[in-house]
Amino acid sequence: MKHATTVSILLAALVLAAVLLAGCAQQQAQPQDLKMGAVVSLTGAGSNVGKHMKQSAELAVSEINAKGGVFVKAYNKKLPITLIVADDETKPDSGVKAVTKLTSEDNVDILVGGWSSAVTIATLGIVAEKKVPYVVTGASSPDVTRKTDVDKSYVFHYCPTTAMYGQYTTLFIDQVMRPAINEKFGFADSRPMRVAILYQDSAYGKGVLNGVISTITTGNLKMDIVSNQSFKLGEADFRTALTAVKAAKPDVIYAAAFPVEQTQIVVQARRDVNLNTIVLAVETNDNPDYYKGIARFGEYSVIESRFSPYTAPKSSVATADARFKADYVAKYGSFPDMMGVSTYEGVYVAAQAIENAGTLEKTAVRDALAGIRMPQKVEAIKDGFITFSPDYREVQFELFVSQLFWDEQAGECRPRIVWPDNLKETGFVLPDWYQAGTG
Amino acid sequence: MQVQKKSLSWYLTPIALAIAVLLPLLAGMRYFILNVVIIMLIFILFSSAWNFLAYSGQASLGHAAFFGIGGYVSTLIARATGFSPFATILAGGCVAAGIGLLLGLTCVRLKEWFLAMVTFGFAVILQVVIASPLAATTGGWDGIGSPRLLPIEIPGYMLYEYYVILAVTVLSIVCIHLILRSRAGLAFAAIRENEVEAQAAGINPVSWKLLAFTVSSFLTGVAGALMVHHITFISPEIFHAETSFWPIIYSIFGGLGTISGPVIGTVILTVIWEVLKGFGLTYERFIVIGLLLIIVVIFLPRGLVSLPEVLRERFARRKG
Amino acid sequence: MALEFDILLQVLFWGLYAGCIYILLATGLNLIFGVMKIVNFAHGELLMLGAYITATVFALSGLNPYAIILLTMIVLGLIGIVIERLCFRPILGTGKLNEIFLSLGLIYVFQNGVALIWGDERQVLNSPYQTVTVPVGAIQLPLDYIIIIIFTVLILCGLYLLLRKTDLGRAIRATSQNRKGAMIVGIDVERMDMICFGIGSGLAAAAGTLWVVSGQVFNPYIGSIPAIKAFSIIILGGLGSIPGAIVGGLLYGIAENGAAYFLGGIWKDSISFLILIIVLIFRPTGLFGESRE
Repeated sequence: MKHATTVSILLAALVLAAVLLAGCAQQQAQPQDLKMGAVVSLTGAGSNVGKHMKQSAELAVSEINAKGGVFVKAYNKKLPITLIVADDETKPDSGVKAVTKLTSEDNVDILVGGWSSAVTIATLGIVAEKKVPYVVTGASSPDVTRKTDVDKSYVFHYCPTTAMYGQYTTLFIDQVMRPAINEKFGFADSRPMRVAILYQDSAYGKGVLNGVISTITTGNLKMDIVSNQSFKLGEADFRTALTAVKAAKPDVIYAAAFPVEQTQIVVQARRDVNLNTIVLAVETNDNPDYYKGIARFGEYSVIESRFSPYTAPKSSVATADARFKADYVAKYGSFPDMMGVSTYEGVYVAAQAIENAGTLEKTAVRDALAGIRMPQKVEAIKDGFITFSPDYREVQFELFVSQLFWDEQAGECRPRIVWPDNLKETGFVLPDWYQAGTG
Repeated sequence: MQVQKKSLSWYLTPIALAIAVLLPLLAGMRYFILNVVIIMLIFILFSSAWNFLAYSGQASLGHAAFFGIGGYVSTLIARATGFSPFATILAGGCVAAGIGLLLGLTCVRLKEWFLAMVTFGFAVILQVVIASPLAATTGGWDGIGSPRLLPIEIPGYMLYEYYVILAVTVLSIVCIHLILRSRAGLAFAAIRENEVEAQAAGINPVSWKLLAFTVSSFLTGVAGALMVHHITFISPEIFHAETSFWPIIYSIFGGLGTISGPVIGTVILTVIWEVLKGFGLTYERFIVIGLLLIIVVIFLPRGLVSLPEVLRERFARRKG
Repeated sequence: MALEFDILLQVLFWGLYAGCIYILLATGLNLIFGVMKIVNFAHGELLMLGAYITATVFALSGLNPYAIILLTMIVLGLIGIVIERLCFRPILGTGKLNEIFLSLGLIYVFQNGVALIWGDERQVLNSPYQTVTVPVGAIQLPLDYIIIIIFTVLILCGLYLLLRKTDLGRAIRATSQNRKGAMIVGIDVERMDMICFGIGSGLAAAAGTLWVVSGQVFNPYIGSIPAIKAFSIIILGGLGSIPGAIVGGLLYGIAENGAAYFLGGIWKDSISFLILIIVLIFRPTGLFGESRE
């Protein structure tokens, strides 16, 4: 070995560095605070969402600490939360490193966060081994709490899954759009609705596709998927896919895409390919940039959502919703997106569970999470209370569907909730230029 | 001078090994450090395997393909048959080697940068194939869970995992060293310098290049399988370009074409990376790595291991 | 999948549109490669930088984005010259592998530098002509699309005139055909290197500007795959051949959209590499071979 000297010296230096690192990181764990770990993507594909998740967590923690912290009966006092953020780099191996660090170096009492489903699922092994409760607030794959080959009893899913939005949107199409179209064109009720799906080739897009298909099958709905086109993550040119969709003559296009992809889909469908049909968007797109990007091309399009920059369901959360948005914008200057709000609430859920458990002991906290019942905070939850389902520890969000109408004053489209009935602001409208797929 | 050098290397290599063996104890058995070092060892293996191929003049930009193939094959076989990952890792390596041979056959007559592009493209295509048409078997984008090397019920299992992976890595590097010291190494070097002349000298470039490809893919497949069994999960993201680029960066930084180059490169850059991460720097980390790479390619083309030599030459020139 | 003629015609049009960006990239690469024979995989980052500079100038000044194109080309030309002098000139002649590795470093620096300054969200620019379309038969062609084709043609014409009708162009051609010969007749080949890198970078910047102005999504990572595809195009079209780059670029655009239509959108990138691999299996030196290497 020619350069053995160098090798050995460098290895020795490394070991020294490791030992020194070991020394200086050996701070005394303060028993005087609650350690919460936030797993977010600060680099990589998930970095823009990760930024919002981190900031939302910080906002929630600062609010809780402003009141003194979380009351823990075992110590008979309020413990302030120390938020420790780790970057999973949107990669499975770095995610495992991040969660390992949080659970074995920083010794957190509870975890929140997780955006990429693949990365989150990769970390479940270490979460199960260390038995740390994990409130997942960003990953949308149902597998996070349903995958069978790993122990997920400590994992709680605090955000809707692709199965849920697939299901809700399909029901909307069946219950609202189909009757409207049949009425306008005089179609018989037996005519199946022609649905085209344009989905991102990823766990997210495929999850939505599967959600739609299973809703149609289990409900025996009169809907046919006349076209399903996939596109790669980050695609910018949808014209060919939309041309294929147009050739299949759909009544509606359901797109499972990320915000800028969705913007392009809407614009290119209406402007370039001349699709005079309704395009449906999934919740991740409900942010101000979307409305700006689609300009007037998005008029009458539809979006499934749970948290919107320009509207809110008329229920007890309306004020909390407005206040959260205002606080976030004041502190960070931008709209907190979908995963931001669920992380914000996730922190509160975690804090509440610890308070309910009365201790920092992880199994007790896990049980408290499993049995939690707290009033909804910023987003509408079904029946008004946050609970985790007994089988898969998921939460039933009250998702809603809005339709976009042109607002002359704003110079952009604005959403108004059209479904479900208990939350709606106005009725669904089929525009004059709308063309059904076939007769 | 020569004799002195030899005795130095015989003296210091065992010391380096001893440090590696004692590392867990020195680091206080901290889980996180073990985790980082295990991943680092796997990348040392990966970089050495890539470097081995580059030694023969074939620089692949898509080695993530074999990394992922090793991972998927090992995982699927282990899940289907229940065999221990120790056995399936070898299967992963063998399948990777087979596919490497096939890819090598298509690449063997190509100029180096054509080969770079073909290997890059191969990884891109493989990712799409695994994620979509083969989704039923591979779990598609959702990925699949992978069994651990050693069950977690064994106390201190992480420690055993560390030693197993250390052993595999050291063994592989020793094998690489032996191969490069043999006729094969001379043939590779000759082919890399000038293929036409090598051919004129009677060396058959095709079979030697194929050998390099096969061995390199085998070791990469093993590395991939080890990684996947350590993380307990695999998904098509493993074929991403970034996975292909790291071994290249580590090897060049350390010293392309040397045995210790990939080792040093991986170790130092991993430490730098984790330290920068500790300071909360995000994109800056990548910029630092990019700059280091550029500086090394321009000013220190034989890598960090050549630094003492280069400095010695500089001083010698100044004195003389 | 209905094989209606006008559907196919539409797919063809979208392919031509995508082809324009590839043509500009590949032509720039050919220029650089023809003279310097270097492989710079970071060429796509110049496209990306062009896109960001145009977007920023547009956001700050509100000027018509098409007017910004000349400015962006000049800025990127200068950046290109700096890269050439600082990074590629020192390693000229040390082998293609070094060039590839250097490009890798440049890619990391550029992508993450841009991400640091501008953030790495996907963004979109709304062209002022976004809502204007021109009816052509059964299709509504967006005006932006037509403008892009016009710009591409203009730029290519400009390049042709430069190379054929000016002294500089003659010097460039001489250097690319026979570097030693050019040196002997007194051409400053190092200056040629610099100029070609600058022009090549300017062309990439044009591609980036047109990309962003047509309302396409941009983020720091849009450059890498098109760069590799551009390299595939010049290998297939003939290294150093500008007509080859044009034909290759168009064919690639059409092939990708065809694959997207018949096989599915996920195969868009793969088809480009598949074409390359298949061609190289049968003709390892590229479709038209290399006359000088």
